[in-house]
Amino acid sequence: MIAESFLRLVPERSEIIKRKGTASGRFRLRVRAMTGSPPARSDPTTGFHLRNAAPSVVARLFAATDRVPASLCAMWLDLDRFRQVNDSFGYAEADAVIALIAGRIRSVAGERATLLRMGSDEFAILLSAVATPDAERIAGRLLATIDQPIPLGGILLRPSVSIGITWRLAADDPLSLLARADRAMGEAKRQGGDRFVVVAAEPLGATSAAWSARQDLEIESVLHASLATGDLDLHYQPIVRPDGSVEAVEALMRCAVGGRQVSPLQLVAVAEKTGLIVRIGEWILLQGARCAARLRAQGCPTKVAINISRLQLYSESFLGNLHAALICARLPADAIELELTESLFVDASPVVQANLRGAREAGVGLAIDDFGTGYSSLANLKDLPATKLKFDRAFINELPEDRRAFAILSAITRLAGELGMVVVAEGVETAAQLAACEAARVDATQGFLHAKPMSEEELSQWMETRKAR
Amino acid sequence: MDGNEEGPLMDKRAAGQETVTTALEDNLRAIDIPPRPLIIDRIRDEMMQGDPCLRRVGQLISADVGLAAGLIKTAGSPSFGLRTRVRSVADALMLLGLDVTSRAVAAISLRRAFPNSGHYVRFWDASARIAALSGWLAQEVSLPGLPAADAYTFGLFRDCGIVILLRRLPTYMQTLARANGDTGRSFTAVERAEHPTDHAVVGGLMAVDWWLPEEICQAIRHHHDRAALASFPPDLPTLSRRLIAVSQTAEHLLQQLSGASRTQEWAKLGEVCLPLLGIDEEDLRQMHPGATAIIQTAD
Repeated sequence: MIAESFLRLVPERSEIIKRKGTASGRFRLRVRAMTGSPPARSDPTTGFHLRNAAPSVVARLFAATDRVPASLCAMWLDLDRFRQVNDSFGYAEADAVIALIAGRIRSVAGERATLLRMGSDEFAILLSAVATPDAERIAGRLLATIDQPIPLGGILLRPSVSIGITWRLAADDPLSLLARADRAMGEAKRQGGDRFVVVAAEPLGATSAAWSARQDLEIESVLHASLATGDLDLHYQPIVRPDGSVEAVEALMRCAVGGRQVSPLQLVAVAEKTGLIVRIGEWILLQGARCAARLRAQGCPTKVAINISRLQLYSESFLGNLHAALICARLPADAIELELTESLFVDASPVVQANLRGAREAGVGLAIDDFGTGYSSLANLKDLPATKLKFDRAFINELPEDRRAFAILSAITRLAGELGMVVVAEGVETAAQLAACEAARVDATQGFLHAKPMSEEELSQWMETRKAR
Repeated sequence: MDGNEEGPLMDKRAAGQETVTTALEDNLRAIDIPPRPLIIDRIRDEMMQGDPCLRRVGQLISADVGLAAGLIKTAGSPSFGLRTRVRSVADALMLLGLDVTSRAVAAISLRRAFPNSGHYVRFWDASARIAALSGWLAQEVSLPGLPAADAYTFGLFRDCGIVILLRRLPTYMQTLARANGDTGRSFTAVERAEHPTDHAVVGGLMAVDWWLPEEICQAIRHHHDRAALASFPPDLPTLSRRLIAVSQTAEHLLQQLSGASRTQEWAKLGEVCLPLLGIDEEDLRQMHPGATAIIQTAD
């Protein structure tokens, strides 16, 4: 069964040959096949053994490690989202990237490793006499090394890889060992990629990961174009107090792909993956600060809340950028509020903690975004440097029918209030939900009931109209 | 006084309206860094068209006499890498293409976007010389993928953060003096010891806002960062590292030739800059006569 599943993949080889590089390269391979000379055993792009050589190459390693079979380690590597690079840039560029990544694999795996190219974007590494901690260390270094950005066609490609790791069992043949490593890789991919999964013995069940990389790549290219042409846009959604005054406005990034607006969440995910978030993050900080300054100049002083991503907070230049935006916009620090998820507040990284502390000391507000969706911990709440807590819309959706949700909302609102935090309910869409939030004594609410996200110009008008009332 | 006049269109406006507009612009300038000139957006709009029309862009640029003259002068200067004589906006557009024209327009608009009086004049004159030398040097070392136009633009934008911080932070002038004289710490480290940010970050932010290419933005952000220049594997794109190396070398040449050396940057960065350009001190010495001519042209 395992051998079959491996063999089933062999016909793809012809596809690999077809895809490879230049016309002359194709021609040479074809001529070899016709004249019956032995097929090429090493892949010209990577210098690794070819897939069809795998059974004999691994069999030789089996013979060499017969005395201590368990010391033979197999890793299966599959580049995440790589098919889209092929589709978008063509095979010559993709081959250049593969060659570069193969060099990175070789530099980490070392001279003693046996390296195989198992598919257009798949590789296997076999290592003798490697114990679990060593294998995990090597896999960790592979993840970190392959992750380095590669400039390609005007964009910065951020490759990542999923790795499956296993060891030879007594009953293994070469193909069953590789197949188990392949399935462990599948599990790593199912968990989101960019990680390794170790499987000691029991084979994993088959996985079927839905792969939306094509759409990601489309968003990525639009983001690149937008950054080059200034086509990105920020919209603002007001957060309203029970007395009708505006507590703050949240800045939300907008970008259309193929005429359809992409959700800010998806935009941020792609921007983080590609490293674009650094530039976009700077741009959003400056635009958000400018908007706050202009609203002030127009007599509508309000805080602007800006979403901050994990990668931004992991950067040592974050505080410098934040201050630069405040200085450029001539804005006092308390006119800006940063929204981040609870997991970032409790992140153990010293850089993240220093950034949060620095922002807070400067007087910038910090809001816990999407509260109630993760593993929210009440015990943590007292230690977080947050000035605001935002209940996630999923929680507000349950109102007013769900009395337990209401009980939690009002209890945590009281608790957060005593800890000096402002409490906001997100996703308020009906008058009944608003009434429930106000009964729970939240400080302010945000949602379509008040206003949808709007352009700065629309926001100004909206605020003017409210002032007139 | 601030050199930010809007060209002939402005003259046609009624006097009253002009006052209101000026007041509004003053107000905006008071709270903000110089906004990106509208003409850059217009050129970008044209570039987004499937079939961009150079004539239309030419008309837009020609409507602003100062900008048109600046473009002809810049495109025709030996620092911009064109060997042909440029006589008109149309010539410049045809020879540079829309992308480089947009960068040249940004470079020309930069000085006009800031106040141009007192000690700022000296600052911008120095920037202009470094930009001119950078563009020329990029051609002299003739490395693939190091366009003279990019080197020129970077040379002008590199230190614009200094002007912004001078206008914002009351003690920044003293910080500058200390940063120029510090032989141990990096320039930006001295700034960061006294202020919450530095001119490289502020300048990088403004470059992002003016939609300059990512490599130029990154070069501005890291132009005092020895580690980023020397790290292997590199943290910065090759073009960014070469832009930094070109401008630091240009500044060093300027200081050598003018005899006025008020910074310690070459002592801190020189030895990593020269290998990035594939030259040594002797090559540099041989460039002195050419560089002198360029400085005279720039003045």
